[in-house]
Amino acid sequence: MKRSLLIITVLSILCSGAHAADKIRVVTTIPDLADMTRQIGGDLVEVNSIATGVEDIHAVPMKPSFAVLLNKADVVVLLGLEAEHAFLPALLEAARNPRILRDAPGYIDASVYITPLEVPSRIDRALGDQHPMGNPHYNVDPVMGKAAARAIADGLSRNYPEHAATFKQNLDRYLAKLDAAIARWEAEAAPLKGKKLVSYHPDLVYFAERFGMEPEGTIEIRAGVDPTPGHIAELEERMRREKVDIVVRELHYPAGLAETVAQATGAKLVELPVMAGGSPETRDYISFIDYNVRTMLKAVQGGA
Amino acid sequence: MRSNGRSRPLTRAGLALIIVLLLGVARTDGQSVEELQQELKAMKTQLQQLQKKMEKQEELIETLSKQKTPAPALAAPAAAPTAAVVAAPPTPSAEQEQLEKRVTENIIQKIQPSLAAANKTFPAQFNPAIGLIIDTVGSYQENGGGNFEFRSAEIGISANIDPFARGYAIFNGTNDGVEVEEAAIVTTSLPYNLTVKGGRFFADFGRLSKFHDHDLPFVNRPQVLDTFVGGESQADGVELSYLAPLDQYLTLTLGAYNKMGADNTQVDNNVPRALSRFTYLVHPATFINLNDSNSIDLGLNLAYTPRVETFTTDDMEAGNNKGRYLADLDITFRYVPLSQAQYRGLIWGTELLFNGEDWNVGDQETPVFHSEGAFGVYSYLEARLTRRYYPGFMFNWQQALDRQQGDVTTYNPYFTIWLSEFQRLRLQYTYFTAPSDHQSQFFLQWTAVLGSHVHGFRDR
Repeated sequence: MKRSLLIITVLSILCSGAHAADKIRVVTTIPDLADMTRQIGGDLVEVNSIATGVEDIHAVPMKPSFAVLLNKADVVVLLGLEAEHAFLPALLEAARNPRILRDAPGYIDASVYITPLEVPSRIDRALGDQHPMGNPHYNVDPVMGKAAARAIADGLSRNYPEHAATFKQNLDRYLAKLDAAIARWEAEAAPLKGKKLVSYHPDLVYFAERFGMEPEGTIEIRAGVDPTPGHIAELEERMRREKVDIVVRELHYPAGLAETVAQATGAKLVELPVMAGGSPETRDYISFIDYNVRTMLKAVQGGA
Repeated sequence: MRSNGRSRPLTRAGLALIIVLLLGVARTDGQSVEELQQELKAMKTQLQQLQKKMEKQEELIETLSKQKTPAPALAAPAAAPTAAVVAAPPTPSAEQEQLEKRVTENIIQKIQPSLAAANKTFPAQFNPAIGLIIDTVGSYQENGGGNFEFRSAEIGISANIDPFARGYAIFNGTNDGVEVEEAAIVTTSLPYNLTVKGGRFFADFGRLSKFHDHDLPFVNRPQVLDTFVGGESQADGVELSYLAPLDQYLTLTLGAYNKMGADNTQVDNNVPRALSRFTYLVHPATFINLNDSNSIDLGLNLAYTPRVETFTTDDMEAGNNKGRYLADLDITFRYVPLSQAQYRGLIWGTELLFNGEDWNVGDQETPVFHSEGAFGVYSYLEARLTRRYYPGFMFNWQQALDRQQGDVTTYNPYFTIWLSEFQRLRLQYTYFTAPSDHQSQFFLQWTAVLGSHVHGFRDR
């Protein structure tokens, strides 16, 4: 009898996931999508994010505990455009949850309404770690963020049509909030127009496009390929010639080289997160974009 | 209600006329008749101009209204025509139309490359993903000389079969010929968190036994795995795997195979056998997340063959139709700082193995079978210093399975240079010591991946 009670107690503790059985269990790959899903799903959803925001999305550690999260998920929300290829396909396989396998109803790809940039016209490993469907780092652009939010709302409504009206209402409210913020950012970011930037990885392409900045290359020799001394020398020469204003170090890349390149060329070094949660000031999607715009502005206008 | 477009200009004209007349009456007192006539004439001219202007505006409004009035929506509910009119969007101006056109053209221009790329690959959409891995090693052994060893060219293909299963195959070309290293079907949608795998595959035994040679953290597989398992844990058979529905990661794999081990020559893979001569596997595994950066993988493995037919290896008889136990405890500690996962980290991996089976400690004529247990272990530590440089050290120690020979120990410092995610160089020094053999060995390995690649869960 005592043994049975012990077993039941242990199992109850282990199976503690049952506490939120009445909510829609959502697992997102990045915190940006988690925040949007919470805004849209409201009290109907319980959301967990695989990444915390400080990671490189191409190198999120593939922990078995994520397979457990995905096993219990009703839907998974991902950035898409193969951004998560290093961890999500394998985790989905390990999770053994047919509801969220690729192209199943519970697989919500937030990129479906995105117009991708940098879609390669030729697929070749000599060109680096390419994303055949286009640059996947669109979450740094708030207008693309609106498209992602719409995709999430549609995905949730597809799976839970009985709550579609609530999702629509919450989406409209969130989009209005984003629209107001976007109008403010676009006004504030006027000094960024025409400024040239070099980043470590092509993470800032959509940000640059939104605010009129001009990407002038990357510290990586090709996306995903570490630089060689020859590449750095060539990059620095080009940066001086083109009068590049900004060197962006995405926070998950090493500091040394970006600093050296900035110092050698007279460009300002700016350190930016590329996901919500990537720094303490970026607790949600709007504060993340806000932080990036303000940090970039500070650098351009001569601040620290 | 929406206002009529014509009424507003006419109202304005009427008002203008009244104002003009009132002004005219008011100003007659102090002015001459001639002046009044001139003013009246000027006003008349202005009024005519105003009237013409209004007519032109009316014409323009009428033309635009004809062009832009939307056709009545067929699906609109007949019971609420007023609501439909109220809800109708305002008619866009010519400028708006031009703007929309420009935006559409801009979007089409931007997505054109992706459409073109999609069209290019369309005829091959149903082909499986294909990848090729080339693994080549140059070596020098103190007692054996040097060699350029073409180790393998491995073609891997994989695809979903249908909504219920996926399949994959790996063909390995070596100096000895081409073999099917793996070819298996794996279910993807069984209920109760179950997965079934069937065909030829690497059995879920231990950790590094499931790795292909080119995926190992060092040049050569730890010798203890070669001796105890038979190299890669290749097996023809079936596996059932279960993920417990708990918050704690816990899996249980059960397997049944003809035999286990690609180089295991103790058992013939190609003949039918009694159920007692199959090898059976039990493998529970778990994962402990210490914190965001530190974690431990833990697995316990038992491969049991109830009756092993007598065989001879190195002039020693074994088997004796008795059981063989092969047990393995695998533990892997990882330090992976989340924000620096690409270029910082540490991994410590260890497997402790035990083999128990009957060996003939007598001779051929008067066999005396005796159950012998042998232990072996490997342990390695690898650091990630940058995205390119991974130094490490692997230690291997093992007893002889029959316990008739001395122990074997190897010390293996190595240094891996990742030129990119798809190309790797590795230098390794091995000091090998056995009772009758002590030597230094040097290796340079060059490995490259072409085409499709996957980040598999089992290779983590």
